[in-house]
Amino acid sequence: MKTRGVSIAACLTVTALAVASCSGGAGGEAEEGPVTLEFQSLSDQPAAIEATESIVSAWNEANPDVQVEIVPAGWDGIYDKLITQFNGGAAPDIIHYEAASIVPFAQDGYLADLSEHMSDERRADIPEGVLDSVTVDGQVVAYPTELQSYVVFANRTLLEEAGIEIPTGETMSWDELREIARATTQGDVYGLGWGLASPTAAFMTMAPQFGGTYFEGTGADASLTVGEGEMALPELVDAMAHEDGSILPVTLTQSGSETLASFYAGQVAMTVQGSFQAANIANDAPEGFDWTVLPPLEGPEGAGQAANPQTLSVNIDSEHVEEAAQFIEFFTDTENLAALNEADALIPATTSAQEHMASELGEENGWSTILDSGQHFTSAPYLFVDTYAQWKDTVATPAYQRFLAQEIDAAQLAEQLQSGWDEITM
Amino acid sequence: MRALVRPAQYLGLAAYILFLGFPLLWLISASVKSSGELNSLTVSLLPEQWHWDNYSQALARQGLVRSSVNSAVVALASTALVILVALPASYVLARLKGVVRAAGVGWILVSQVFPVILIILPLFLILRTMGLTDSLAGLTLVHTTYTMPFALWMLQGYVSGIPVDLEEAGAMDGANRLAVLRRIVFPLLAPGVVATAMFSFVSSWNEFFFALVLLQSPENYTLPITLSTFIGGEGKVALGPLAAGSVLAAVPSIVFFSIMQKRLTGGLLAGAVKG
Repeated sequence: MKTRGVSIAACLTVTALAVASCSGGAGGEAEEGPVTLEFQSLSDQPAAIEATESIVSAWNEANPDVQVEIVPAGWDGIYDKLITQFNGGAAPDIIHYEAASIVPFAQDGYLADLSEHMSDERRADIPEGVLDSVTVDGQVVAYPTELQSYVVFANRTLLEEAGIEIPTGETMSWDELREIARATTQGDVYGLGWGLASPTAAFMTMAPQFGGTYFEGTGADASLTVGEGEMALPELVDAMAHEDGSILPVTLTQSGSETLASFYAGQVAMTVQGSFQAANIANDAPEGFDWTVLPPLEGPEGAGQAANPQTLSVNIDSEHVEEAAQFIEFFTDTENLAALNEADALIPATTSAQEHMASELGEENGWSTILDSGQHFTSAPYLFVDTYAQWKDTVATPAYQRFLAQEIDAAQLAEQLQSGWDEITM
Repeated sequence: MRALVRPAQYLGLAAYILFLGFPLLWLISASVKSSGELNSLTVSLLPEQWHWDNYSQALARQGLVRSSVNSAVVALASTALVILVALPASYVLARLKGVVRAAGVGWILVSQVFPVILIILPLFLILRTMGLTDSLAGLTLVHTTYTMPFALWMLQGYVSGIPVDLEEAGAMDGANRLAVLRRIVFPLLAPGVVATAMFSFVSSWNEFFFALVLLQSPENYTLPITLSTFIGGEGKVALGPLAAGSVLAAVPSIVFFSIMQKRLTGGLLAGAVKG
């Protein structure tokens, strides 16, 4: 008995001491003086962190009554963190995230309607397809800030050795890409390396070029169609990999970043990558590596790519929605957005910032071509589908992987995509 | 032939140690390579050029030292709490018969059934009511609670391994209950306590999800949260600084283990002699 009593007392004492000694942070502060807005930022690159801090400092200096405090967070697990914060009433005022992930929060009523706060100037400056990606039930729920497009990086030396004239037009057709890939596939060199370990995002993004939309309708009422337009790109990749033999097979199982090693080593003449890789290639490529960015890819239905921008949105429970929106308006002005995107090696979501960046950077590291691709963003129907994430992870990605590994044919792929969807939504 | 046995044993042991240590060696190697070398097809353990900049980036940019201190505080505090609570509780669980034991064991098993994602929201709300979100104290309590069932399970196994006859012999020699526990049971339990402490420490040191959800301010971030910020959106990973940060993050854990390991062996030997 005596021992038990001593143990309990010791435990209580230690707990009390731990609680008393470790406590820190957390709300409960009396609200006096200027308004303070919490801005949960996911900026991860040192230059982008610096750019974000610089923009916030400029705002804080110009607006002593509305101070913005950056709360850095990582991308890993941010969805779970946000969902808990929203449900627990502890979400920050301003939220940085991608459109695909904030749409469900908007549909559940956690994000403020910014339609009235967005200036006409800003609205006109955002390409229609990009604005669509942050418009839920007619309400603008976020400001788009940064995007990436898929572009083709080419080893200029290998193309020239194969007698290929580097394409310079406004766009480049998929047939042209296939021809170049065939022509540059010689000896140990493959024409193309494409990191398709997670192929769904790439196929969804570029489906509009073939008239593919995948989804019609929104929310729980959305329906899936897997027709010619949706199957065109997977079938083209399959043909290039297995009929032409012009795609390095191992890259189909790698991530985009992993594929770059083959590109640097001259194992592949071209690689399809997210445009942000331009900065990594400029930094990591071996000395003397002569590379370029080929014109944006274009299919029979145009050069459109589905837009899934990074965004800034406002917590609907924030006591200062208007001030938060004013800050975001400032954050997304031309010079700020250009500086942030230059630091992150991404494409600004406004036309004026794209032009500003193009004039600043010129042809350096293929930037003018990459920024040109920013004019081709279209709306992305999949953003507004309730069960898209589940379908993507449990049905689409495994089915595409099996297809690219030649375990199933095109008809089976289409059937699995459709039946998997039906099963999830039944 | 016999002369070859010992060298062969050492060779096998060395190979096994190399096998176990290789991931750490690879991590250290990656931490001193440039981004270009990490992204090349040429694979080598030794870097072409030593790139110490990864360490300065990890230390300067990401607040790694502060996070290490936070992790150490939370891990040590939760380990101490776990041991303080689990030690007497496990003795009761192991020695008592009947309903109390059955209920206790049942509770331990049931508590392991619920996935973290299921309990995080109610937990968050409770801690918020108590003003313990975004605090190391709150995280310490969560880690303690989360680790406790398995720690109890481990320790009650060790207690069960100590023959009751030893305690009865002590009592017959005139020792009271407290003296029996202090002089007989606890010394024999030392290896179990050390093993449980190691488990608790590592669980807390590596824990990511609770810390991610509960901590808001960067000054309260623990190591796993800080290290996760090296992984960016769009598939961007700062591999060199991440490896450097991971190497630095492993140091306190290795120090803790090297200290505790001696106690673990010592306790085992003590138990053997007593038994």
